[in-house]
Amino acid sequence: MFGFYLRNLPLSGKVFCTLFLVGIGCGCIAAFTQAATAVGVSPAEVEVSLSPEMPMMQMHHGQMSAEKEITLADVSAAAKVWIRTPLLIQTSHTHLFGQTLIAGLLGLIFLFASVREGTKALIVALPFVGTLLDISGMWLTRFVWPPLSVLVIIGGSLFALGYVLVAFISLWQLWLTKEARP
Amino acid sequence: MTHAVRYAAAIVATLTLVGVAAAHVTPPVVLVSDRDVLAGSLAGAQRLFVREVRLTPAERQAIQKQTGWTPDEDFYRFYIGRDAQGRPVAATIFLTEYTVHGPVRVAVALGPDGKVKGATVVELTEETYPWMRPLLDPQARFVAANLSKGLDSMGQFYGQIVASLIQRAALLYDVGVLKRGDSA
Repeated sequence: MFGFYLRNLPLSGKVFCTLFLVGIGCGCIAAFTQAATAVGVSPAEVEVSLSPEMPMMQMHHGQMSAEKEITLADVSAAAKVWIRTPLLIQTSHTHLFGQTLIAGLLGLIFLFASVREGTKALIVALPFVGTLLDISGMWLTRFVWPPLSVLVIIGGSLFALGYVLVAFISLWQLWLTKEARP
Repeated sequence: MTHAVRYAAAIVATLTLVGVAAAHVTPPVVLVSDRDVLAGSLAGAQRLFVREVRLTPAERQAIQKQTGWTPDEDFYRFYIGRDAQGRPVAATIFLTEYTVHGPVRVAVALGPDGKVKGATVVELTEETYPWMRPLLDPQARFVAANLSKGLDSMGQFYGQIVASLIQRAALLYDVGVLKRGDSA
């Protein structure tokens, strides 16, 4: 890219890229931990958090109330977040901005890696596609079909895969390769 | 080298934007599970029932007139504790207010006559938690008396949010259960 390659960056550039990749990696681990504790990382847990609240009883048209006996075991014991539409809007806007900017910066660094163009295009696209799948999966789970919660997991995994590939290849080329190949 | 300087400048500018975006994220905090709340608020009841209530347009209007708040949920769910003979001894409802800093979800415990017995803050956000903390006991129960103990403006604001949720809960039980004669 413009004759510049990661291997040829000055020391300051290498330090900058390295610390950025390390920082984002730590952020990804913290984000994963937060998601795992607040919501869960299985499709079923995501579905429970995102799908709309369903009545526990089937009230027919015109019926104004219904009651049935339950036990405490029927009530959720998990201190989990239940994501309602206003929170979904808030989460969407912050994550779309934040993750897209991170994906952009990761891609910017990776543009200077010496990798085949097709491979580079594929890897650069992963965090962007992952972000879009992740957030759109949340909306589809809530408003279209709850089992689409699997898209949230796939999206998050694609983002993570993209980060790992970008970080691994970039760090390798920054510090361990001898010569840059166009 | 000019390219490299531009490249670095672009990265710094974008990092600043990332920081601004990240500053908006306020992760939710769940203080207590629904089951734990009910185990406490319905203690003494021998049987547990769930009652779901749809409000009529007239009932929604009555609540709106009294509080300025229009109930907009499709249904409201009460957990009702009853004694062995089926008489109600307590009820609990979970209500949420969406603020600019995220949701505040509260469980309101009511007596069989609709009198408020207490409230527990179930869920809020990392941002609102420090403001709300002076108003909560270690079990996350709302201590209304602390409202008059020199709280800052945000503490006062969130105290009022909880107080209004308590008021709504009492009204919903009154209109949706007691006035219909459905509590027995």
